Amino acid sequence: MRVVVAVAGLALIAWGARGIAAHVDAAAWAVWFAGAAVLHDAVLVPVVLVVGAATGRLPGPWRRATRTALVVGGAVTVVAAPLVLGYGRRADEPSRLPLPYDRNLAVVLAVVVLLCAAGPVAGSVTGFAGKVVARRDAARRGRRR
Amino acid sequence: MVRRPPPLTVPAALARLATRRPWTGLRAIPERLLRVGPDGVSRRFTSRLHDERVAAWLGMALGVSIVSAFVTGLISHYMQHPPGWAQWPSRPVNLYRVTQGVHVIGGLATVPLLLAKLWTVYPKLWQWPPARSLTHALRRLAIFVLVGGALFQTVTGVLNIGYWYAFPFPFTTAHYWTAYIVVGALLIHAADRWPATRRAVMTRPQDAVGRRGFLLTVAAASGVIAATTVGETFAPLARLAVLAPRRPGHGTPAGPRDLPVNKSAAAAGVTAAARDPEWRLTVTGRVRRELVLSLAELRALPQHSARLPIACVEGWSVDGDWRGVRLRDLLALAGAPADARVRVESLQAAGIYRTSLVSARHWHDPLTLLALDLGGAPLDLDHGRPCRLIAPNRPGVMQTKWVHRLVIT
Repeated sequence: MRVVVAVAGLALIAWGARGIAAHVDAAAWAVWFAGAAVLHDAVLVPVVLVVGAATGRLPGPWRRATRTALVVGGAVTVVAAPLVLGYGRRADEPSRLPLPYDRNLAVVLAVVVLLCAAGPVAGSVTGFAGKVVARRDAARRGRRR
Repeated sequence: MVRRPPPLTVPAALARLATRRPWTGLRAIPERLLRVGPDGVSRRFTSRLHDERVAAWLGMALGVSIVSAFVTGLISHYMQHPPGWAQWPSRPVNLYRVTQGVHVIGGLATVPLLLAKLWTVYPKLWQWPPARSLTHALRRLAIFVLVGGALFQTVTGVLNIGYWYAFPFPFTTAHYWTAYIVVGALLIHAADRWPATRRAVMTRPQDAVGRRGFLLTVAAASGVIAATTVGETFAPLARLAVLAPRRPGHGTPAGPRDLPVNKSAAAAGVTAAARDPEWRLTVTGRVRRELVLSLAELRALPQHSARLPIACVEGWSVDGDWRGVRLRDLLALAGAPADARVRVESLQAAGIYRTSLVSARHWHDPLTLLALDLGGAPLDLDHGRPCRLIAPNRPGVMQTKWVHRLVIT
């Protein structure tokens, strides 16, 4: 069964490659095909690894919150980048890319950061309040004695 | 008796090549640099999320996303290039709007899944030796094809809906053919990894690795991307669509004719011809009598209303209130045969979307109009004045604008 699936896969690859060779500038296509993989492996992931190592020094809840904000914000930024850069705008077609994407992306990122920060902030507030309550209780018990 | 070595046959030589360990003269240097363990995997990557179970869950989610993108992509392709043996139905009216919305918004939401999966298995890129055997090398080649293809589809797709044609090849052709390569490589990879994936997903881990938190973060990233874009096709969430390439009410005059435009009359070079009072609609080809109608004569024919979406291949869609002449009334007037197909021709001099083909099933549908009005007023120049095709369950590029000829074939 697995062999049948693998052979079907090879056939699909061959069919696609034949189509590329017949209908597309194969050299330019290959540059983009391999280039996407090389840029991803040699630039994007090393950057992510460095950022991951750098955030490793943060204390527990803040580390998790920072990494969550970076993963979500980073993904949104990657997808929105062509809109923010706006190379696709055309003067005679104003309904193309009609929004202020730089401002909108900033707002989305701010919301992501606020939501992610809410956890550790609430944690430290309740932690602090808990400490205050415990100290007061301890003081009361001390007085009663 | 002399014992002769067995004759070296081709399969025997291949088998020996497949199991031979490669040359290992200078292997100490990269092994030390990468801190390669006995399993050939680098110990440089310390996160415990570089893990088979994480990879398995992300892999299954990606498999579903890629197959859904492939199927919806094929639907869009074959709708625009009908294969002859199959006819796309004209109902339900919103089917294409849904399939293409799934294709584009689903594709965008796949970006975090893909990046997370590749990050999870990244240490395997640096395994040493790079190829343990011929089969191992072939397996890694298949994975390169899968990774390169998946990234290629993602990058070209994201750039295309942003109208940023940075690549030197036609998007649709390259995206279409590369899809077969990706799905083929996916089949090979899935067949290869299925037993390990099953094992990884079915066993309950006893360690305290925070997989759930990581997977939920990736899902949240997909969710934020979908939430900030899906409003370009799903009107109830339009206000959330702050990162969508199109948004009704923006860049268009607000009100009932609030419909985005993909190609303006100026860009198509039809401004003068579309305004010309001498404009005539010609119905010709396989007809009993040829028709030549002025705009006033078209308006004198029975007018019908239809609420139909412009559903663009780029994923956005908007409903419009159209009014005009039923295509089937015009064809009946000209005496076209019931099985005829109609080639709708625009005033545009050139371009791949200058004409579109309407199958018998579509032109028999009473909702298929040659629209003269949108939102209670004559069509704007950019919406296809003096008249345009509007039909149910059909991509926007095939709702030909600035129509001046119907050729019955």
